[in-house]
Amino acid sequence: MTGPAAAANYAAPTTAPAPAPPRAPAASAPPVSPAAPRRQARLSRIGDRGTPAVLETLLVGLIIGSLVWGVVTALTVSQHSSAAKEVASTSEPLSLAAQRMYLSLSDADVKATTSFLAHPPGGTPMPLSDRQAYDADIANAAAELAALRSVGTGVDSAKLDEDLAAISAGLPIYTGYVQRAETYSSLGFLLTGGSFIENASEEMHLVLLPAANDIYSQENAALITASAQATGLPLIVVCLLVAIAVGYVLFRSQRWLTRRTHRRINPGLLLATAALAISTIWMVVAFASARSSFGAGLGHGSTPAESLAQASIAAQSGRRFEVLNLISRSGASSFQAAITDEEKRIGPGSGSLLDAAAADSPSGAGADAADAAARDAKSWESESVKVFSLNPATATYEDESSLVIGTGSGSSQAAFEKLETDLRHGIAADQVVFRSNAASGSGAFDGLELAVIIAALAMAAGSAWGVSRRLAEYR
Amino acid sequence: MVLNHRTVLAIVATSTMTLVAGCGTVAAHDDGAGAVALMGKTSANSPGGAIPSKPASGKVKLKEDGSTLLLPLFSEWATEYNKQFSNVSISTDSGGSGQGISDASDEKVDIGASDAYLSVGNLVQNPNMLNIPLAIAGQQINYNVPDLRPAGAHINLNGKVLAAIYEGKIRNWNAAKIAALNKGVSLPNLPIVPLHRGEPTGAGDTFLFSSFLSTEDPNWYAKYGFGAIIDWPSVPGAETETGNDGMVAGCAATRGCIAYVGISDFKKAQDAGLGDAALRNAFGNFVTPSSATMLAAVNSFISATPDNETISMINGPAPTAYPIVNYEYAIVSKAQPNAVKARDIKAFLNWAINSSDAKSFLGGVQFQPLPAPIAQLADDQIVRIK
Repeated sequence: MTGPAAAANYAAPTTAPAPAPPRAPAASAPPVSPAAPRRQARLSRIGDRGTPAVLETLLVGLIIGSLVWGVVTALTVSQHSSAAKEVASTSEPLSLAAQRMYLSLSDADVKATTSFLAHPPGGTPMPLSDRQAYDADIANAAAELAALRSVGTGVDSAKLDEDLAAISAGLPIYTGYVQRAETYSSLGFLLTGGSFIENASEEMHLVLLPAANDIYSQENAALITASAQATGLPLIVVCLLVAIAVGYVLFRSQRWLTRRTHRRINPGLLLATAALAISTIWMVVAFASARSSFGAGLGHGSTPAESLAQASIAAQSGRRFEVLNLISRSGASSFQAAITDEEKRIGPGSGSLLDAAAADSPSGAGADAADAAARDAKSWESESVKVFSLNPATATYEDESSLVIGTGSGSSQAAFEKLETDLRHGIAADQVVFRSNAASGSGAFDGLELAVIIAALAMAAGSAWGVSRRLAEYR
Repeated sequence: MVLNHRTVLAIVATSTMTLVAGCGTVAAHDDGAGAVALMGKTSANSPGGAIPSKPASGKVKLKEDGSTLLLPLFSEWATEYNKQFSNVSISTDSGGSGQGISDASDEKVDIGASDAYLSVGNLVQNPNMLNIPLAIAGQQINYNVPDLRPAGAHINLNGKVLAAIYEGKIRNWNAAKIAALNKGVSLPNLPIVPLHRGEPTGAGDTFLFSSFLSTEDPNWYAKYGFGAIIDWPSVPGAETETGNDGMVAGCAATRGCIAYVGISDFKKAQDAGLGDAALRNAFGNFVTPSSATMLAAVNSFISATPDNETISMINGPAPTAYPIVNYEYAIVSKAQPNAVKARDIKAFLNWAINSSDAKSFLGGVQFQPLPAPIAQLADDQIVRIK
């Protein structure tokens, strides 16, 4: 039974106010654009069927709208939430693991070579303290390598696999050479031991460190990508647009029903509207909170930590070059320019890594460490300059070696160790800032996905209940 | 130290010699972790292998510069190779090992010749470079002591005494510390004039000599270290020479001189009337350079030689080893500018290491051919030249 005539035959409800007279038939509909004949035909058919048909359409439309909103928003929240959790639990730890692996490898090589150079023939090849520090570095590097291999990183690249494999294969070769250097040296074959130390250092410089650096670069890029995904705007904007669209339809539906039925409130649609409003506000607040937390974590934690980590890597490079100058006894290779370049990168000075870290971390333990690093970097630089300022006519190998590997306060080694300590403290402090903010940002999404699903179901149920009650009045 | 470690040295030496003698096919294929693999792999130089046995057919000019110790041999090789392959001419030069390394690294020459292996610093700055052993060499300690009795006796010296001489702490040939090593030899009251090399880019012979002093004397190691360039202590009367020929000529012209000279100038030194010292090795035995004592030293290191053949064989663990022994290296880039140049260099190096023609020239300069496992490692390195 369709059309205005059929609608007129419905019995009026006894307890409810009489429904408003049906709208005029299609003849009274506004003129239709010739560009939309199909839509015009559909509206015409609905119009032909009268209010119940409109109500049925509304019912279906609201349920679908609610569910679409629920699905889109739940998926968006899920994606942001998992990206946030990945940043906190996977990307950042892996980036840190890669950074630590590089620094541990580099430090192990500096320890092994300086210890060997400082060791006189016939004595203990590596003092216990140096041996323990070297062992700790190797153990740390192996542990970080295992973590990087076992967790499965956010980076899907053949290059990463290749780099990890290179370190897995190269690390035993490196430690094997160091072991043999120790063995030969302790037996009195100092120079044979020395050639094995050079082989070890070659393996470190040409295989292990380039691979470790590649891994760090890739993991750091993955961290940046994951952070961007956790706080990126596009999908949240889509959710908001869907929410506005559904909210608008709910509003127009209630106004239309009010006009049609003279009832001010439709409890079902009101419930749906409330559910939509609460969940949308929750989503916006959670997203804003996460974005703010991640922004703070990245800006004042991860970014300065990255600058300090780069400074630490540059300091390690510079230190290794100082040692290479000493251990490379054939040919006339000089690393003076390379050391100067690394020191310039580290800073302090305009555009340097330490200046960048200080600017990004204006207060707190990280800032204090960056300030201390700036002071100690200058000291290291001045000690380093002394090595190359030695008068070749009068200076001896002993003069150079005491400056480079001596342990006194006026040695490059002592100055470098102070700088390294500052940098490690700074990195650790900045990472605390990042982790705290990342955990907060990640927690902002807790419960939101479930809430959105419940809200979407409540909206669908409320809409169905609200509209079907009106629809029932026509049956 | 020598006495304290004698037992350990004997064990190391015995096990090494056993490996070498008992397993003629042991290859020093080294994984850095101490593993020694049997040579079951296919030779890179076998038929169908990757090393060409002949140069390309076009006209080729290869340039060599470096070690003056290697120069006499290289000059002979260049002439002979040109006889066999007339399209290939090889020019040689004698800038010293340091010059050879830097010229090869800077692509100024095709082959650098060096008594010293590439340092890790060289390799970090030039990661494409390879050091490929061509032959075994050594270094003699020559002196001009005319009034020695009995005439023709070898003066016994050790690293500590040599270090003291080069530091100016022992100034006379009849000093008590020298006399203590030379019972029954009448040493003259003659001032010692130490000669050393002075090439600004470094000398491989200086590397070898200072390496020996460093293994024997902790004071020398700490103060002056070892290297192709040494900040020599200031000693009154000490003289600086260029090249091994310069050392021989300088020593011949200076009564009381002492000089470290590459073994390839052995005959020249003898012809100039210079004596050659017997050096005390790690077992406390005084040894003069000969094919037997040099091979004894090298054999004790075969199993330890790593794939890149970077190894110091100074004062090796064998009772009869001469203490200053080394590989003579060809320093070449594994990334040649074109395939033809790569082929020509590979063919020449293969010929120099493996052909009987090339080996026939070794005796004339007191060099020794590479043991088979070391030659195999060299072949493996040659294959990497592209």
